[in-house]
Amino acid sequence: MAASMSSSCCLSSLRLIPFKRTFFSSVNRPSKNLIFRPIPSFLRTIVTFQKIPTVIVPPLSASSSSPSSSVDLQPIEELPPKLQEIVKLFQSVQEPKAKYEQLLFYGKNLKPLDSRFKTRENKVEGCVSQVWVRAFFDEERNVVYEADSDSVLTKGLAALLVNGLSGRPVTEILRVTPDFAVLLGLQQSLTPSRNNGFLNMLKLMQKKALSLEVKAEEGSSESTTDEASVVEVVVLDSEPPSVVEVEDTESVSKIVALGSRGMRIREKLEKELTPDELEVEDVSYQHAGHAAVRGSAGDDGETHFNVRVVSDAFQGKSLVKRHRMVYDLLQEELQSGLHALSIAAKTPAEV
Amino acid sequence: MEGVAMKLPSFKSLAPTAISVASTFSIRRSFSVARRSSSLSATITADSEPVSLGHRARKDFRILHQEVNGSKLVYLDSAATSQKPASVLEALQNYYEFYNSNVHRGIHYLSAKATDEFELARKKVARFINASDSREIVFTRNATEAINLVAYSWGLSNLKPGDEVILTVAEHHSCIVPWQIVSQKTGAVLKFVTLNEDEVPDIDMLREMISEKTKLVAVHHVSNVLASSLPIEEIVVWAHDVGAKVLVDACQSVPHMVVDVQKLNADFLVASSHKMCGPTGIGFLYGKSDLLLAMPPFLGGGEMISDVFLDHSTYAEPPSRFEAGTPAIGEAIALGAACDYLSDIGMPKIHEYEVELAKYLYEKLASVPDVRIYGPRPSESVQRAALCSFNVEGLHPTDLATFLDQQHGVAIRSGHHCAQPLHRYLGVNASARASLYFYNTKEDVDSFIFALADTVSFFNSFK
Repeated sequence: MAASMSSSCCLSSLRLIPFKRTFFSSVNRPSKNLIFRPIPSFLRTIVTFQKIPTVIVPPLSASSSSPSSSVDLQPIEELPPKLQEIVKLFQSVQEPKAKYEQLLFYGKNLKPLDSRFKTRENKVEGCVSQVWVRAFFDEERNVVYEADSDSVLTKGLAALLVNGLSGRPVTEILRVTPDFAVLLGLQQSLTPSRNNGFLNMLKLMQKKALSLEVKAEEGSSESTTDEASVVEVVVLDSEPPSVVEVEDTESVSKIVALGSRGMRIREKLEKELTPDELEVEDVSYQHAGHAAVRGSAGDDGETHFNVRVVSDAFQGKSLVKRHRMVYDLLQEELQSGLHALSIAAKTPAEV
Repeated sequence: MEGVAMKLPSFKSLAPTAISVASTFSIRRSFSVARRSSSLSATITADSEPVSLGHRARKDFRILHQEVNGSKLVYLDSAATSQKPASVLEALQNYYEFYNSNVHRGIHYLSAKATDEFELARKKVARFINASDSREIVFTRNATEAINLVAYSWGLSNLKPGDEVILTVAEHHSCIVPWQIVSQKTGAVLKFVTLNEDEVPDIDMLREMISEKTKLVAVHHVSNVLASSLPIEEIVVWAHDVGAKVLVDACQSVPHMVVDVQKLNADFLVASSHKMCGPTGIGFLYGKSDLLLAMPPFLGGGEMISDVFLDHSTYAEPPSRFEAGTPAIGEAIALGAACDYLSDIGMPKIHEYEVELAKYLYEKLASVPDVRIYGPRPSESVQRAALCSFNVEGLHPTDLATFLDQQHGVAIRSGHHCAQPLHRYLGVNASARASLYFYNTKEDVDSFIFALADTVSFFNSFK
């Protein structure tokens, strides 16, 4: 009974800056210095108060063209293409009411979310309205989002995010910072408080993208949580995270003959890392049922591998760096149907 | 050019005279006697239309005179927190500027002064609710802390397995959660009174629930969602008949009407300063002397002790026993100033005005199509508080509140108002709430209704 009401409560704060009161001319140009603040007009004797997002300069900055503002926003080019378009669209719409209308329009056209996905894990924390987000991989391992909300404005925001982020790879999604919200002119408060529905929505979407990646990397079972296994999850704040890895130290040795991909992986790692020990294990059979696996053609199902490397090349490098090294070496494979690597990377001293 | 509508010197109308001994340091506005005597009756203006209390009071609240998002601010969220008149702000400022010093500890002049003012504030609060002794007032951080104090101090030492604590489903979380925690620790059982068909807690059910097993009845005086009030005097009689105690959550009543603890005969009563024109960070617990005397400490530390040894300590008498550490001195003094301010207007006057406003608000709101207001209908026998929690068919309260704020500068609240069980009972996730205080006017209500109609039509056009 508690399920629907147990969401923590708060207002998804949505503010529009009344554009008619600003003097900025750079509204239509997609640039970094978009800090829209209404300036108290000298024609009126009224003080206006605006909620101040913590990352932005204080409200009474008179000049619109202060490119070296104290905080630089994430450049729009780093955003996924759809999101860039959306941002530009919102920038071109000046009237706050029109922005709302645009939001509501997005919301209206959002693909409905099946009620069986309206679960606890899919719920966005910190919204008075109920918001659910679902994420899954398509065949190309891009993240696809679906969302819903009982509040039309929140649904519009969710739709905005869904439209902007859906169909993109995990790394691109994880790179997005909430800065773009300022560019939208929706005046979303960017303080990561419990109450910030929009921020939490974005975070949840990124978290889900991350965990899709992790699950895919992991291979067969759910990640073991004994002390030996290490899951590095980099929590997103202002920096884009590095890749997430799962280290599986339970090396189950099964002797499975390696196919062509397996051989290529071996060769590459041998050549570049000159390991003391190298084990490459094909565990694709464990994933034979995956939709993703079914989709990939021409590799005889060589999609999931366990790799154990002991090499001096890892000396002085953090776990994440080590895994990244391996990934980088196997880029080609990853692009051509290799879905997941479970990596154990040690130095000789650590064995 | 300064963008401030009203300048400070003109706030003369309702600033209270300096009652306290600290007048040497007070920079409170002096107050003409003539005006004071007539301030309570409607002043006749040039066009011989009586100026309402709301209009007169507004002048003392600078914060109300501003624009938000391009529209005049219409503040309708006083149930969440009230605005503070200039005199209260001055009292706080004064304290820090002229005699800030730690209380109860020092010998020197400033600390003696601070102590005097602090204890005077306690007396003012006691007088405000007609407590028989100022030692029955314990300063806390807010009403929530006060309830926790009773729960942990009185509750843990008095509740046994099988004992019953009676609450209603309409209670604020602060009057549910502490009892849940304590009942888990003690094995006591919580029982909840539900609503009747008028959407008020069922008094008959409450009466029937009270039994030999009941040890405590903890209920609101005025509901922050339903706008209804409970007949505390009667409830106290029923509870005392079985030897149970009564705790009254008076957060929504003390600021708006005369509350007389002796008349109510409640055992405990709590309220928050910030809802009654006082600053945040201070509230109080009223407890009958004999009860407080028997209660063990809540928080330990300085101030609440008598003698401290390494292996044990002895404790001070109440109220000090429950006031560990340095209190919010300035805030307490400012709360005293708030009591002065309200008393100067007169709580009966405030209440009378608000009853009128409440009726106006309800009628206007009820006339908007598709609006569903929660709580009882106002009538001869039923007086509502000046607040309405409501929902508009097909429109989420968050959307409503956002649009009202963004397009019209109208500040209402949307959410569960710290009453999730109540909303669950009513079958909704959230509601919008407009709440008024004596500084609101009928024009505020009109602005709200206008804005509401605009909002509804905007969202409807998207369906």
